[in-house]
Amino acid sequence: MVSSSDSLGNGFEPKILVFACNWCSYAGADLAGVSRLQMPPNCRVVRVMCSARVRPEFVITALSKGLDGVLVLGCHPGDCHYSEGNYFTRRRGLLLRKLLEYVGIEPERFQVRWVSASEGAKFAETVERVTEQIRALGPNRPRSEVLPTEPGDK
Amino acid sequence: MQDKLQEVVRKLLAEGAVEYFIGYCQSSQPHRAVPCFVSDESEVEKLVWGPLCGQNLSKYVLRANELEGKVGILLKGCDTRAIVELIKQHQIERDKIVAIGVPCQGQVDGRKLEKALGVSLEQVTNVEDAGDGFLVTVGEETKKVPKEEVLLDKCFRCKHPYAFPYDVTLGEVVPFTIEADVGEYAAVEELEALPIEERRAFWRKQFERCIRCNACREACYACYCKECLFDRKMPRWLAAPPLLSENEMYHLIRAVHLAGRCIDCGECQRVCPVNIPLGSLYRKIQKDVAELFDYEAGMEMDTVPPLVNFELDDQDPFL
Amino acid sequence: MDRKKISKSDLGQWLDKIAEEYELIGPAEEDEVVQFRPVKSSSELTLDYANSLLPPKSLFFPPVEELFSYQKRGEEIKLEQTKPLEKDRVVVGIRKCDVESLLLLDKVFCEDLVDAAYKERRDRTALIGLACPTPPRAACFCTSFDIDPLSPEGTDILLRDVGEAYLVDVATEKGQELVGLAGKLFSKLTKKEAEELQPPPVDMPKMDLSELGEKLEGMWEDPLWDKLSLPCLGCGICTYVCPTCHCFDIADVGSTSDGVRYRCWDSCMYKDFALMTSGVNPRATKAERARNRYFHKFSTFPSRYGTGYACVGCGRCLVHCPGGVEITEVMQEILAKEGAGE
Repeated sequence: MVSSSDSLGNGFEPKILVFACNWCSYAGADLAGVSRLQMPPNCRVVRVMCSARVRPEFVITALSKGLDGVLVLGCHPGDCHYSEGNYFTRRRGLLLRKLLEYVGIEPERFQVRWVSASEGAKFAETVERVTEQIRALGPNRPRSEVLPTEPGDK
Repeated sequence: MQDKLQEVVRKLLAEGAVEYFIGYCQSSQPHRAVPCFVSDESEVEKLVWGPLCGQNLSKYVLRANELEGKVGILLKGCDTRAIVELIKQHQIERDKIVAIGVPCQGQVDGRKLEKALGVSLEQVTNVEDAGDGFLVTVGEETKKVPKEEVLLDKCFRCKHPYAFPYDVTLGEVVPFTIEADVGEYAAVEELEALPIEERRAFWRKQFERCIRCNACREACYACYCKECLFDRKMPRWLAAPPLLSENEMYHLIRAVHLAGRCIDCGECQRVCPVNIPLGSLYRKIQKDVAELFDYEAGMEMDTVPPLVNFELDDQDPFL
Repeated sequence: MDRKKISKSDLGQWLDKIAEEYELIGPAEEDEVVQFRPVKSSSELTLDYANSLLPPKSLFFPPVEELFSYQKRGEEIKLEQTKPLEKDRVVVGIRKCDVESLLLLDKVFCEDLVDAAYKERRDRTALIGLACPTPPRAACFCTSFDIDPLSPEGTDILLRDVGEAYLVDVATEKGQELVGLAGKLFSKLTKKEAEELQPPPVDMPKMDLSELGEKLEGMWEDPLWDKLSLPCLGCGICTYVCPTCHCFDIADVGSTSDGVRYRCWDSCMYKDFALMTSGVNPRATKAERARNRYFHKFSTFPSRYGTGYACVGCGRCLVHCPGGVEITEVMQEILAKEGAGE
């Protein structure tokens, strides 16, 4: 998965993977859409039943293989549809962000946010903010290092 | 101590209390103690104990699951942390193990000893504990080397969980302390202090060296999965060739999988054939787990591992 | 065979001359580990060393190499073979055990089926060997395989340390060419020197291995393999540090339209090595994999390729095995068995 950019990073469009939990964040994303809120198109959303479904290896794989950022969205703590899932997400997220920063990956590239089903505006704002933060950081990997994974990727 | 050990093991074997005993014995190279599996009384005299027994043998107890009976094992304090975690993680039952505790007063790091002596390690024929130093014999000469010059890094941080319920102890098991100028997480803090691009360059260089021999995984007590994620073919997480992206994934994923389980035994770094400073990576995970979740692996039998647990008031910077 | 002399202080100059025309590779220390690396100048070399961590087979059969890249556009497919070498190379400081290992690997990669990349690297690389110090490492046992650490066989040049200088045994035309790059630095030996300047013989206990293969053949069901499976962690380090091991894996990395085919090292000690798509694993237990390793080294390789045993006694596996498995002990246990077939 390659982001298109020239050597100066001009015209760089980050590719960001978003995991959104079915009950809260994904519904919030829907609400943002229905409300016609404008958002940059860089985020690719993958729906999961609970944010706790996101294993750290998903995030690490995404970043190692060249994606520019990963965002995990879940219900507010206390409001998880499965009662406790997001408490685990919270712990994992804390640990993972610190580890990634330790190996030199900017903390903005992996973020966790709580977005409820009624927070369409928050979803839009989060997408906008994260996209701009990562755009300013530039590509995660130099293009020459990223292995192609989709047809037409080179 | 060595004689007492042999006596105890002889008794265990004679009584049929264990199918075999896992300890250390001298390898054909005098400076190296290696794992030893003794199943017959005639082999007991091979067993040794001394400052060259730094290796963590705990992973071998998992073989007891395939046996009808029990296995015996010689455990230093630090090694018991692995046993505690294996029990907590439901990988072995306590009653499958006959644990022999031994008072350890620090173990020698071969590389540091070479540096301190200025000779190749294989010329060392004997090392003995002598209080604040080690008596090291090279050829005809024996000299005393101060402990702080040659101890394994982990010995400076000895926590010795002596609450571990051994079956037998060879003498009183006392904690080992040494004055160390280095902070607990010194190596980690050194890296944390660097600017982020330098850290990235540092780790990139290390991961590029990796040849993915998987020795760190096999040596780690906590990597006991029957099918490791990295061996799965459908879907395939890691491509086989040791490319930078794959190596990064390997090490980072292994690090998070060990969160709350790494006991700082140092086996991963010891076995790495290309000298990647894995200790600096895993100490970071240990530091974060200790700071964020107030947990240290293997210290207590009745605490819940942090990654399968939560507190309602856990830190939450994600609002 | 031509014998000359070069002083230790002049050696660097000669090697630097070589580095101008060729890619010079030799043992160099980085982060406390000695490995064979390309160097720009002789000052980067560490010739005062026991042996490298990874064997120099990695210069001919690398841990990972690109074979070719592919590109599909519409119906058109383009394949581009990756060049194995840019420049001709000279490897300095290689030990005789590692040289012998290359001769064994040549049987695998250069005979029935020629591996183009390996062959090109071999053909375009000259070897300047370095005779071993006395005593060698405690873990060394090359003489048991009738390897002479002081003979230039297999190299283009063999350097032998005699105190203030090196004796330079030039074995091939290529060697002459290399010496010619700085001919003035070399001197002929006087009669006195020829008699007196001899490095001490390499003192190493030698095992009698003549019956090893035969005795091994009778041990297919021997309990030795179960015994070995206890300390063995299945980590694969023995394979990765062994100069004669050559198992590899091929992997395509990329998409359906663009990608690269790689070859990388693999180890028969891994659980999944022999696993087949049907799910059948002919070597599912550690004991079977341990057995396979020793049979390959001491029985199947020799009979398949008509060579001696596929071990050169470098001792790396012995030094690095975390479980303390020692190949010399295994060999001695095999030799101690009562005759074949009993």
